[in-house]
Amino acid sequence: MAKRSASSSPKTQRVHVISRQDGWAIKKEGNTKASKLFDKKEAAVEGARKLSKGHDVIVHKKDGSIQRWERPEKNA
Amino acid sequence: MSSLGGDFSRNVFINCPFDSEYTPLLRPLLFTVLFLDYNPRIASEIFDSGEARINKICSLIKCSKYSIHDISRIQSRKKGEYYRLNMPLELGIDIGCRLANEGILKSKTCLILEKDKYRYQKALSDLSNSDIKSHNNDPETLVLQVRNWFTELGFKKAPSATRIWERFNEFMADFHEARGRDGFKDRDFEFMPVPEYLDFIKEWIAENIRQMEPKA
Repeated sequence: MAKRSASSSPKTQRVHVISRQDGWAIKKEGNTKASKLFDKKEAAVEGARKLSKGHDVIVHKKDGSIQRWERPEKNA
Repeated sequence: MSSLGGDFSRNVFINCPFDSEYTPLLRPLLFTVLFLDYNPRIASEIFDSGEARINKICSLIKCSKYSIHDISRIQSRKKGEYYRLNMPLELGIDIGCRLANEGILKSKTCLILEKDKYRYQKALSDLSNSDIKSHNNDPETLVLQVRNWFTELGFKKAPSATRIWERFNEFMADFHEARGRDGFKDRDFEFMPVPEYLDFIKEWIAENIRQMEPKA
């Protein structure tokens, strides 16, 4: 899991893991469509980390609230 | 119309529980109504004043063309627990308001939500043959039902339920982050007064959505 720092990514680069009927979607903020759908949440989180390229990954609960916010360490 | 006023044609009276157990459904419900540019009217906006609660609820009903009634929580779930009558009472007042009045109040219309499609018939059989939508206690399904109801009423270019749901999730991230910066903890989120939460949604939509999405 990425380590946390005090600052967060620009909104347009954040990647969300969002509940979707019968599964989970990953969606980069600002994109009109979800990038990919997954059956399992953990697989979606892994996919989101890859897609985020070092930016924030926001993992939502099924009700949309925040389960976990992964913030990358700031580059030196 | 009513001392509580507002725009009758955009007001939506929300009749549902306001406890923490219902919060996972209440949040997307309020967000969806505001996202579609309607104005949710809730009983807790009037808690502070001295007037009898029932009088104010009636005023809210009279100043709202639309109503959303969620009767999914009326059943008692354990021995000794009372069933909850506020929701069916307010639903009855709303239906009575439409049937017993003339003019603009005759145009009132409501959405009734339940957990399962036919469960209500056991307790509210007078509503048989009414168009009741089920959300199955699923927030995403609730967004779909509310969005589709507005579409059936004539909102032809409503964003898809999927888009509203995704926007709601983005909103929740900003809500969490902004309030976290202000020192809010999980307990503060859980027990945040609904009017305060509504203000934050309105502010977020004005900043992030209103320029881009169609209006009814």
